[in-house]
Amino acid sequence: MMILLTGGSGCGKSSYAEKLCVQFPSPRWYIAAMRPFGEGSEEKIARHRVLRRGKGFETFERYTDVENLVLPQRGTVLLECICNLTANEMYDDMGNVSDPYPRVMAGVEALRRQSDNLVIVTNDVGSDDGDYPESVKEYIRVMGRINAALAARADAVAELVCGIPIVLKGELPI
Amino acid sequence: MILIVGADGAGKRSYAQTLGYAPEDIADGVLDERRAICHVEKLVFADPDAADALLEPLSAKELVICAEVGSGVIPTDTKIRLGRERTGRLCNQLAQRAETVVRLVCGIPMAIKGELP
Repeated sequence: MMILLTGGSGCGKSSYAEKLCVQFPSPRWYIAAMRPFGEGSEEKIARHRVLRRGKGFETFERYTDVENLVLPQRGTVLLECICNLTANEMYDDMGNVSDPYPRVMAGVEALRRQSDNLVIVTNDVGSDDGDYPESVKEYIRVMGRINAALAARADAVAELVCGIPIVLKGELPI
Repeated sequence: MILIVGADGAGKRSYAQTLGYAPEDIADGVLDERRAICHVEKLVFADPDAADALLEPLSAKELVICAEVGSGVIPTDTKIRLGRERTGRLCNQLAQRAETVVRLVCGIPMAIKGELP
């Protein structure tokens, strides 16, 4: 099954995603889309590593081009997170901006084809009204489109609030 | 302990009043002797690294009100980013200890843990 988890920063998405995944059979693959540099990312990555320890995940660091990632065998996949993958696909090192939508969706489809259970973590980036540059506004809009498209494909969608999953679509296994 | 969360202006304190907490019963972003507190997020933002130390004193309150601040674009400013994350984490811990967690949306209370008081 495919489950999409959304919510704001620090709301417990990662912990709950991992809790879901350990309910599903091994092997478990963790697709980490966050690049290990920039604001606070090392701290966040280290925290996520500690959270995953002992839960039987093998990690693939994949910042772009998830579409061409070949998993060793079928199993349970945790993709974290769509907001990083989208930003990585949208802005390249040269400062070019391109439409990340097709590549993010193709990446998710590739993971779906190769897994029995897919848990995807995304983020609610559209709920403030900051005075952002146009490229950030475009990012917010495309994140909204991607989240909606993922939710349409997912069997279950939940928003995490205070670590509590609020079901928005379907039923969660736990 | 009852935990009330929701966006700014969602109706958290108005709802608290329906539970019998007058405005003067509710401390505004300070830890004092009162049985209720609002704007816990202000306490966290004042010193994000000290957020863990807030768990015990807040757990001893009857009512804790905190704004949901984690949504929207992740800020590049480290202190703001940490404030958002630590506020969220603290709420996760408070929610585990709370008998009831109520989320306000458009002034409407939804029990996301336990039952509405």
